[in-house]
Amino acid sequence: MNTLPLLLYAAAGVAYAIHFARRDTAVGRTATTLLLFGALVHTFVIGMQTMEVRHVPFANPSRAVSTFVWLFTLSYLYLELTTDERAMGVFILPLIVGLQTIPALYPGMEYQDAVLDSPWFWVHVSSLLFAYASFGLSGILGLTYVLQFKEIKKKHLGYFYTRLPSLQVLDVMNSRAVAVGWVFLTFGVIVGGVWTAQARGIDPTDPNLQAMSLDDPKIFVAMLTWGVYSFSVVARRTLGWSGRRAAWLSALGFAFAMLNFLAINYFVTTSHTFY
Amino acid sequence: MHLFLLGVSHRTAPVDLRERLDFSSRDLSAAAEAIARRQSLSESVVLSTCNRSEIYVASSDPAQAREELVAFLSDYHHVPAQAFQPHLFALENSAALAHLFRVAAGLDSLVVGEPQILGQVKEAFQTAAGKQCVGPVLSNAFRWSFGVGKRVRTETALGEGAVSVGFAAVALARKIFGRLQGRRVLVVGAGEISSLTAQHLRTQGVGEMVITSRTHAHAEALASEVGGLAVPWDSMINALGAADIVITATGSQRPIVTRPQLQAAQGHRRSTPLFIIDLAVPRDVDPAIGEIEQVFLYNIDDLQSIVEENLSRRKAEVEHAEAIVNEEVTKFMAWQRSRTAVPTVVALRQRFEAIRRAELQRLEGKLGGLSPESRARVDEVTRLIVEKLLLEPTEQLKALPDEETQAAYTEAVNRLFRLTDDEPLDDGRGKRSELPKQS
Repeated sequence: MNTLPLLLYAAAGVAYAIHFARRDTAVGRTATTLLLFGALVHTFVIGMQTMEVRHVPFANPSRAVSTFVWLFTLSYLYLELTTDERAMGVFILPLIVGLQTIPALYPGMEYQDAVLDSPWFWVHVSSLLFAYASFGLSGILGLTYVLQFKEIKKKHLGYFYTRLPSLQVLDVMNSRAVAVGWVFLTFGVIVGGVWTAQARGIDPTDPNLQAMSLDDPKIFVAMLTWGVYSFSVVARRTLGWSGRRAAWLSALGFAFAMLNFLAINYFVTTSHTFY
Repeated sequence: MHLFLLGVSHRTAPVDLRERLDFSSRDLSAAAEAIARRQSLSESVVLSTCNRSEIYVASSDPAQAREELVAFLSDYHHVPAQAFQPHLFALENSAALAHLFRVAAGLDSLVVGEPQILGQVKEAFQTAAGKQCVGPVLSNAFRWSFGVGKRVRTETALGEGAVSVGFAAVALARKIFGRLQGRRVLVVGAGEISSLTAQHLRTQGVGEMVITSRTHAHAEALASEVGGLAVPWDSMINALGAADIVITATGSQRPIVTRPQLQAAQGHRRSTPLFIIDLAVPRDVDPAIGEIEQVFLYNIDDLQSIVEENLSRRKAEVEHAEAIVNEEVTKFMAWQRSRTAVPTVVALRQRFEAIRRAELQRLEGKLGGLSPESRARVDEVTRLIVEKLLLEPTEQLKALPDEETQAAYTEAVNRLFRLTDDEPLDDGRGKRSELPKQS
């Protein structure tokens, strides 16, 4: 079910790459159209799965990845359509295609745990997925900032100089993406905490709930990620950490987020296993 | 009718001669009118820029057109013909057309790919058109050339990359700051080169522009020229702290800004980018400043090498652009030939239609008994037969490869079907049938 969006994303990725290399606007428009179409089909897939299990599918890691990819695609499309800037697509699409491969290969079954039967769960996970999508954008924006910065600083105006947006635009977009992501991350973590406390009152024996503490790698890395982005938000305002420093921070933060979302989610976590 | 072109350009004539034959300072439309009034010339467009003075005309006799244009140039500019004749170039038909396309595409410009020329070509055409000096020959050629100019711009990188120091600096500033609106500029040293760069920045809509110079009067002069504010030399370091873009071009033998000075001046706003354009030789700005994280320091050599790189990149695109021009010339000529076939095609259709109607009329008696539906069917069937018969010859006539073949075929068709005389055709039975007049 997740294969069709994957194929459309892959086609869009190829078109974005050709558009980036040749700077051909017609190809660029094709790329955007393919991506829009992919997102539309993906929306349909997620809608079907939601109807099937009666909540947005994200308790199973593979389905959560699919939902994340969907949110990430929509966030990127929002950025592209509001700024009329297509150059980032070539960096975003490999991530989208790579991640979407996981649910396409391992669809996974959504398991219904009684403890998940709560609006808190929905709010908690969707906030965090949206935060990760923003961080994904900021990470890519950071990476491109560094590429552009290098060429201008070293006076080798080459491949990226002519294709990427200005440093200022990249920096401002990055700072906004980090700020939005930070707000959702903070909110999602708080909701998670409140929900855990409530759920313990209902079912104190649930092993998942027993494991909810900083000893759990997933929660630990989540707090670490929160720390990186909090520092980034504060440092920009007080220490003047904008530009390249902010760019590296957002790349680092996103690396943590992905580590948590993929490696730890699949293999290490002791809590958060609802399947 | 032939397209004919006579002119001088930076490739054929020295600048002093080009100046003497320049139309741009005088009334272009009057010149175009004066040319079009001449006997053998029916249309005219005058294209005059600092690199070229070219006259495009439509004429039935190119040799005479040349003579008349030489006489016109001599009279109009009061320059003896022998002074400019060796520097003239004259082109006809497809060669003239190719030249026009190359000019519009920026291929013939001094700085290859410069964008202004297409606008100048359009303006020259509109000026002439405004005075009713253009007819089908020039109108088609010029309109087509606008498309060629646009195509070369979008399909090649011929016009890409700044090719002057000032534009290179502006392009860099835009890659650092995005929009330049509201950016504060400091100009240190009020020489010619800093003035040029400041003017480029001004056209980009930068904000406050502060100018300082060791000689305050120079700073004031430049300030009034570019709409800036002159400040005393002593406050240069303070002004540095507030600036986003700094241009330096003083004659100082030693750096006028050192790293500690700049860092002290910037203080708390160290995190925002600063773009310094050091145009002075020897350099005004301590190179160590370029190591500061958010400072982008470019000197004149850096900008010069960007310009050279862009120029060589443009040159690499010339071949691609030339191919587009050639392709368009071929397309235009084919289109024109297909148009010259139009009168023959129309006459042929009229003749066939006339025969069809005449035959229907002749058979009126036999068809009289048919119902209106059947009559309509007969009319439709005969019309379709005529259409089908004419389809292939029409296509063939329009697609003939060159003018000579075109003329031969047209002539043959005219004779075979007697398209040029008004004699009605024999109906094949020894007596002439009456053909109804064409509406």
